[in-house]
Amino acid sequence: MASRPGSPDYIIFYSVLALLGLGIVMVYSASAVSANVNFNDSYYFLKRQIIWAVLGLLAMIFTMNIDYHLWRKLAKPIILITIVLLILVLIPGMGKVVNGARRWLGSGSLYIQPSEVAKLSMVLFTAYYLANYQNKIQSFVKGVVPLLGMLAVIFGLILKEPDLGTALSIAGTVFVLLFIAGARVWHLGSLTAVGVVGIILAILAEPYRLKRLIAFNDPWADPLDTGYHIIQSLYAIGSGGIFGVGLGRSREKFLYLPEPHTDFIFSILGEELGLIGTTTILVLFFLFAWRGFKISMSASDVYGSVLASGITTMILVQALMNIAVVTASMPVTGIPLPFLSFGGSALIFTMAGVGILLNISKNVNS
Amino acid sequence: MASTSHVTIRKRLAVVLIIVILIMGALSCRLGYLQLYQSHWLSENAIDQRIRNIPVEARRGNIYDRKGQKLAVSISIESVYAIPAEIRDVETTAANLAAILDLDKNKLLDKLKKRQAFTWIARKVTTEQAEGVRKVDLAGIGLTEEGERYYPQDNVAAHVLGFTGLDSQGLDGVELTFDQYLRGNKGSIVIEYDAKGREIPYAVHRYLAPEVGNDVYLTLDIVIQQIVERELDKVMQETKAKGASIIAMDPYTGEILALANRPDYNPNHFAEYEPKNWRNAAISNAFEPGSTFKILTTTAALGEKIVSLNERFFDSGAIEVQGRTIHCWKHGGHGSETFKEVVENSCNTGFVTVGLRLGAENFYKYLHAFGLGETTGIDLPGEAKGIMIKESKVTPINLATMAMGQSIAVTPIQLIDAVCAVINGGEHIKPQIVREIKNKDGAMVKSFAKEGLGQVISNEVSVEVKEVLESVVANGTGKNAAIEGYRIGGKTGTAQKVGAGGYMPGKYIASFIGFAPADKPQIVFLVAIDEPEGIYYGGQIAAPVFKNVMQDVLPYIKN
Repeated sequence: MASRPGSPDYIIFYSVLALLGLGIVMVYSASAVSANVNFNDSYYFLKRQIIWAVLGLLAMIFTMNIDYHLWRKLAKPIILITIVLLILVLIPGMGKVVNGARRWLGSGSLYIQPSEVAKLSMVLFTAYYLANYQNKIQSFVKGVVPLLGMLAVIFGLILKEPDLGTALSIAGTVFVLLFIAGARVWHLGSLTAVGVVGIILAILAEPYRLKRLIAFNDPWADPLDTGYHIIQSLYAIGSGGIFGVGLGRSREKFLYLPEPHTDFIFSILGEELGLIGTTTILVLFFLFAWRGFKISMSASDVYGSVLASGITTMILVQALMNIAVVTASMPVTGIPLPFLSFGGSALIFTMAGVGILLNISKNVNS
Repeated sequence: MASTSHVTIRKRLAVVLIIVILIMGALSCRLGYLQLYQSHWLSENAIDQRIRNIPVEARRGNIYDRKGQKLAVSISIESVYAIPAEIRDVETTAANLAAILDLDKNKLLDKLKKRQAFTWIARKVTTEQAEGVRKVDLAGIGLTEEGERYYPQDNVAAHVLGFTGLDSQGLDGVELTFDQYLRGNKGSIVIEYDAKGREIPYAVHRYLAPEVGNDVYLTLDIVIQQIVERELDKVMQETKAKGASIIAMDPYTGEILALANRPDYNPNHFAEYEPKNWRNAAISNAFEPGSTFKILTTTAALGEKIVSLNERFFDSGAIEVQGRTIHCWKHGGHGSETFKEVVENSCNTGFVTVGLRLGAENFYKYLHAFGLGETTGIDLPGEAKGIMIKESKVTPINLATMAMGQSIAVTPIQLIDAVCAVINGGEHIKPQIVREIKNKDGAMVKSFAKEGLGQVISNEVSVEVKEVLESVVANGTGKNAAIEGYRIGGKTGTAQKVGAGGYMPGKYIASFIGFAPADKPQIVFLVAIDEPEGIYYGGQIAAPVFKNVMQDVLPYIKN
């Protein structure tokens, strides 16, 4: 099992840089109007996104140069810290409420989302767990259940904020990792069945979720309320056509589409850059997926392999969910588009994850 | 056993990658569907929710007289509108506006709360009100200039000009009949709005400039019109009549040189008058013309050569037709007289004889050729076509009374138009009210040439009738119309009005039709006075009006 240091995977590196660059441009374009309206400064979000992107790049360079085996040792303390943060954010007075969800921790201009931390730390923890207990993976009770227990804690805490999108993306990632690491297919199949029942119950329990589901099915049934976001998103994407209306020329960003620089940035991109732009984004994410899984396949050890696919999956799950939501291919769940959506802590932790992935790629089997 | 699990991991990674590719493929299809197939529909809808169309009124064209005097102009006046989505504080806005514009606050509130892109608050406000609205500077409330019609000559030619409504649409007169030329084309500002109702700064999509309306040049001559108006006022005062009308026409071109009625109205404040004042009696009211109609009987008789000017008639004062006795207006009759004298004296029995001799077929041939029984087609709204007994049903007694201008109802415009044909050499022509239409640059859009409707009589007959009518003024009933130094032709008329139960006692229409110069008339006038008090003979009250008008007009048109 000799591993020797090599060069990082440049395709991933440049794909990520391209997504990041497009993100900065689109954040500016999408947010200029609402930034001007709300903060009297068109560059409000652009300035911050540039700072976050620089910090993200630094985080990436930092983790890229740290031997990823370090994370295996730190996995348990990190997940414990994450749980503490997730509990803290739920305490009234500690967590900051934005749009009805208590997701933010911090003060002044520095805020982080513990759920963003949780995405990465859960991947680190799962990789650690699956690598350490790979011999028990075939056993449901001894192998799968303990990991699900940890997932349940994290999932429950995040759902409490509430942030269903993030919770689902974490659950999905853990599920994929269980599959990759060799869990029995029928175990996972049963879990899926339970999950589907759970989702149905969750939907029936919260009327707003049912509304969203109906809205997804026919957004024009209630265009001013539940269907509003999705209709505006479709208007934006549809207006783009093949070549788009031109960079900076989005109309939907004129307060029709709320928060156009965060969860719905892909819609604005679709409007301004058209099918060319949206396809480019899909291609970049495909390159990322392909190289990410390639690193996973050629990682020098099981830990590296699971960790690489964990990071890749984590980012992909979010990307695919986001694009599916804004194209009305699945019900609305708030989830940002990795690399592109405005969002400080999310970007830093995603970039840190990419750094780890690149570090694994430096140590692949020859 | 690292290698076995590595193999499993690779296999399963391949499965995951395939699933990812499938999902991405599905999303690509979805994007293609949205951005190619549904793109048009979605973008149309997206545009619809952002676009608001604010109409920009076109300035209405002016109306001039034949010499270019302004009779109707458009001036800009301000109107207050609201774009409800832009209003920040509906309550204060409504309160403020209600105070400035003197409106009901609650109604205003309802208006402002409605979900609509654009609504009028108050149209055509005063300068002070506009200034007040400008000062409070409320968000979502704006002022825009609208055209307000202004008639600088007030009542003058009101019945020809008509008036316009709040939206500058023509409602009566030339304003109505030539509305499509005058109104121009509305422009619009298409503005894209953001979701909060604010204008998207650089996105004014289109500005469709309004097209200024065309200018209409009437056939009226304001000088003649003013003389006519003056005389109408005078005669109304003197006779205490119910109404009066004067029409002046160029007999060779059919151009109306003046047209006025009493009662009248000021088109600047038309709404303050009773609608009956708006009525253009000269073209809308049919009346039994009485003796003025004898011009047409004379023309038909001479045209058919069933009588000559020197043929002798004997008027005993009455004549019997179908067992009914028709009296001449002169007790005891006129005795022996030539046909020329019959016309001069306006002798009823003479005309009855001529009418019966003419017969229904011949008489009707001329009546139709003169355009009676049909509207003249003048470009003014509300023209009546009069009442004429059907030729198939006409009896000798009808014929006898028609010959002297009874049992037939014509409008003043029909009558003067027929007389034009008599004196212009015999050609029936359509009366014209508009000479030309020009666009704002002065280029001709449409000009109205003389419209001939056929030859009714020969020039010789025309000359003969003119001579007779000249002697009516010189020697006969039309003496009061004579003007020293001018050759005047004309005919008086006095007709009892017909009501529901037959002729109405004491209610007459006194009239006079005259022209000058008698040999080659430049202008023909019709004067009709409806229900004068006291003296009601056309020769005594209508002929002097004609004289007064003609006295001022003749020197004017000579220049």
